[in-house]
Amino acid sequence: MIKIDHVSKSYDGGATKAVRDLSLEIKSGEIFGLLGPNGAGKSTLLNMLAGVLAPSSGTIELDGINVVADPLAAKRNLCYVSDSPDHLLRLKGHEFLRFIADVYEVPDAVRGPRIAELAHEYGMEGELDNQIQSYSHGMRQKMMIMGALLPDPAIWILDEPMTGLDPKASWLLKQSMRRHADAGKTVLFSTHVLDVAEKVVDRVGVIAHGELLFVGTVDEMREHFRMGGSLEEMFLELTSDESPLAEEAE
Amino acid sequence: MARAAAQGFSWRQFKVMLRVVIKGEQHLDSTGMGIGGNESAEKRKGLWGKLGSGARKVAMGFLFLIVAALFFMMGYMLGEMGTTPYLAFSLCVVCLVGLTVLTGLYQAVNILYFVRDLSYYLTLPLSATTIMWAKLVHFLGMSLLGDLIILPVGLGCLLANGAAPGAWVAMVLAFALCAVAVNLALVIFCVPIMRFSRLAHDKDLFSRVFGGLVIVLALAVGVGSQFAFRGDGLVSLASGSGELLSGGVPAVVVGVLCPPSLLARPVIEGDALGALAGLVGMLASVAVYAAILSAIARRWYFEGVQALQGAGGKRGRRVEGTELAQATRTRGALAANLSRDWKMMVRVPVFFNQFVLSSLLMPLYFIAIFAVSGFVGVSQASDAGLDPTMILEMARSLTGLFTFDSPALVWCAVGVLVFGLFLSFSAYSFTMGVSRDGEDFFFMRGLPMNWGAYLISKFVSPFLLSTAPMLVVIVVALVVLGVPAASGAYLVAIYLGATASLGLLSLGLGAFFPRLTWDNEAQLVKGGGATLMVFAGLLVGAVAMALPALALLGCSLWNVLEAPVALGLALAIFVVECVALTWWVLGPCARHLSRLER
Repeated sequence: MIKIDHVSKSYDGGATKAVRDLSLEIKSGEIFGLLGPNGAGKSTLLNMLAGVLAPSSGTIELDGINVVADPLAAKRNLCYVSDSPDHLLRLKGHEFLRFIADVYEVPDAVRGPRIAELAHEYGMEGELDNQIQSYSHGMRQKMMIMGALLPDPAIWILDEPMTGLDPKASWLLKQSMRRHADAGKTVLFSTHVLDVAEKVVDRVGVIAHGELLFVGTVDEMREHFRMGGSLEEMFLELTSDESPLAEEAE
Repeated sequence: MARAAAQGFSWRQFKVMLRVVIKGEQHLDSTGMGIGGNESAEKRKGLWGKLGSGARKVAMGFLFLIVAALFFMMGYMLGEMGTTPYLAFSLCVVCLVGLTVLTGLYQAVNILYFVRDLSYYLTLPLSATTIMWAKLVHFLGMSLLGDLIILPVGLGCLLANGAAPGAWVAMVLAFALCAVAVNLALVIFCVPIMRFSRLAHDKDLFSRVFGGLVIVLALAVGVGSQFAFRGDGLVSLASGSGELLSGGVPAVVVGVLCPPSLLARPVIEGDALGALAGLVGMLASVAVYAAILSAIARRWYFEGVQALQGAGGKRGRRVEGTELAQATRTRGALAANLSRDWKMMVRVPVFFNQFVLSSLLMPLYFIAIFAVSGFVGVSQASDAGLDPTMILEMARSLTGLFTFDSPALVWCAVGVLVFGLFLSFSAYSFTMGVSRDGEDFFFMRGLPMNWGAYLISKFVSPFLLSTAPMLVVIVVALVVLGVPAASGAYLVAIYLGATASLGLLSLGLGAFFPRLTWDNEAQLVKGGGATLMVFAGLLVGAVAMALPALALLGCSLWNVLEAPVALGLALAIFVVECVALTWWVLGPCARHLSRLER
């Protein structure tokens, strides 16, 4: 479970507010989709959940562990895929996965078969001995996702995970997310692809200007706006500068 | 046809491109040229950022002035010893050509080809010559600034010879034209290489080969200078440079690389008309080289750039089954971090050259210097009728006196500290430990990292690289010179204490003030900021070694401590320092990293 309680994040001594007094609870067994336009504060929020950024105020708990008070325990309980897959580019694929497995202390009996399985699923078997810098953008993204899924922690936090993935890898990831949630664990991901969110998520949160404008199921969102339109139309309506919710956020 | 039509030079496009280039491009492997050296990297915001940037520029300017003043004094001394301004100018030109050949090709290739934005330029309707000249003008401007540091040798000589102001102007102009010409010549050479050479298309291999070559040659120059600066070596060097330009094959080689140098004599020594004619000739030769370069670039620059795109990818084998299981077996946190850090350091050519190769070559440098000094000493002794074995025996009889109640051992320990202080020039390999990770650091911030193990791994690699090879040299020297075992072990312990405390202090400082937002690796290790870091290492070394040095000097210089007390105290201080610094690194520094944000 992810519990975000009145979290704010500001930069430049408070001049720039990236996230404003945001509260949210994501239950175990749930896939939660975070939607929002560019610069809405999605990545900042996910970075705070992953412990990369510290909240300026408020608390974040992952399965009851405070991320700020006990970051190591919290991080062992989560995996995080950031919005850029360009990390540790000079390592070979298997070296990267070994490093991740070592950091998460994945035992030998688990890591061997799991790496082979993930490599097979994502079509990366022939690439493991190549340096990540030689991979295409999509292959790098696959490697980051493989690294995140390898330790299989309870909470998955994925920032734009579908970007650059081919259809098969994208489908695989969605399947993995579903399986993970069905096993009583938690998935939180951000996306720009509204169709993906519509098909995968149990609940959706719309963030703009650093504030959570809406939380609920897609059906509740439709009901809320009584539009019966597509998620895309609702999203545009919600996040536009003319939206009454956005004005409240200002 | 469309591409051919696009090859013409356009002033308008040139100005636009020059502005873009000056504002900053993303270099795959920039040379870190310029005073700032890393100006295109993300700047730290706020007052600290402004202060840091300003202080760095002031410090670099100060450093430049100090070196320039040293060269000026050197030139003045040359003049006082009877060297003519022409010979001093020849020395400047030979140094300029040598340095440019040594480092210029690597820099030119970086500036002209290894630019991330080039693949984008390829999609725009811009001509090859326009892009190349915009880059080249920027490159020449920055090179010229750097090259000017050699000129004070000639100017100092002019002062000593009481030259008229016109002679000063003529020498400055002549030198500037020489600097432009030699850089143009190098680019004329570089464009076909980049078009047709496979080596040049593999950026990593190219950087490794040329970077390695630069370091090896730099060390060779260092060793060679041991000969050159003996006796009247500087005067001989100046007259040798003059001879180089006076005729024969060397004059042809230097003339091809730097045509204006062939016209230097009338400019420096002739009357006003002769100097003017010489300068016009120099200008004409530069113009000819510019025209040749334009023609070559029109033909091959874009083709070279295109050849680079997607080149250099090396494919690995298919790893599966037990081999994959073996390759991914469990390690501890330290081993995992050490392995990752080592691989990243060795596989990034710039890091390999700066932190691995130069560290490994350092002992060779000292061995060469010892060998040169020994050879010179032995030959001088032989000339004086002394047997070399007898000299060694004399040395052994002296080192036999190195006992714990002897001031000789204290002085020797002071010598080890001075040597350790000298080695602190390479302490930036510790300081850069965290910074080397760049953006990858923030990726690791999202992982459940053991930051203590992370920092220890950042200490182990440079310590082994910088200390272990030198340790072997020191132990061999102690054994050959017949230093008693206990005293030898003590000196080794002092050496280890000095290098360990220096390394830990540098590492901790680097962890507290890391530079993680660089665009490319070379930005980190080259240019103004990195040069300052090298000199700052000396300061850190002085801080780390101050207290033990005071203890030793308390005996050897001020006679307030007995030799055994001073020796024991110095070692004890090092032990305490190392323990305290280890606590600092594993505690506050590791905690700082675990909370560090962008």
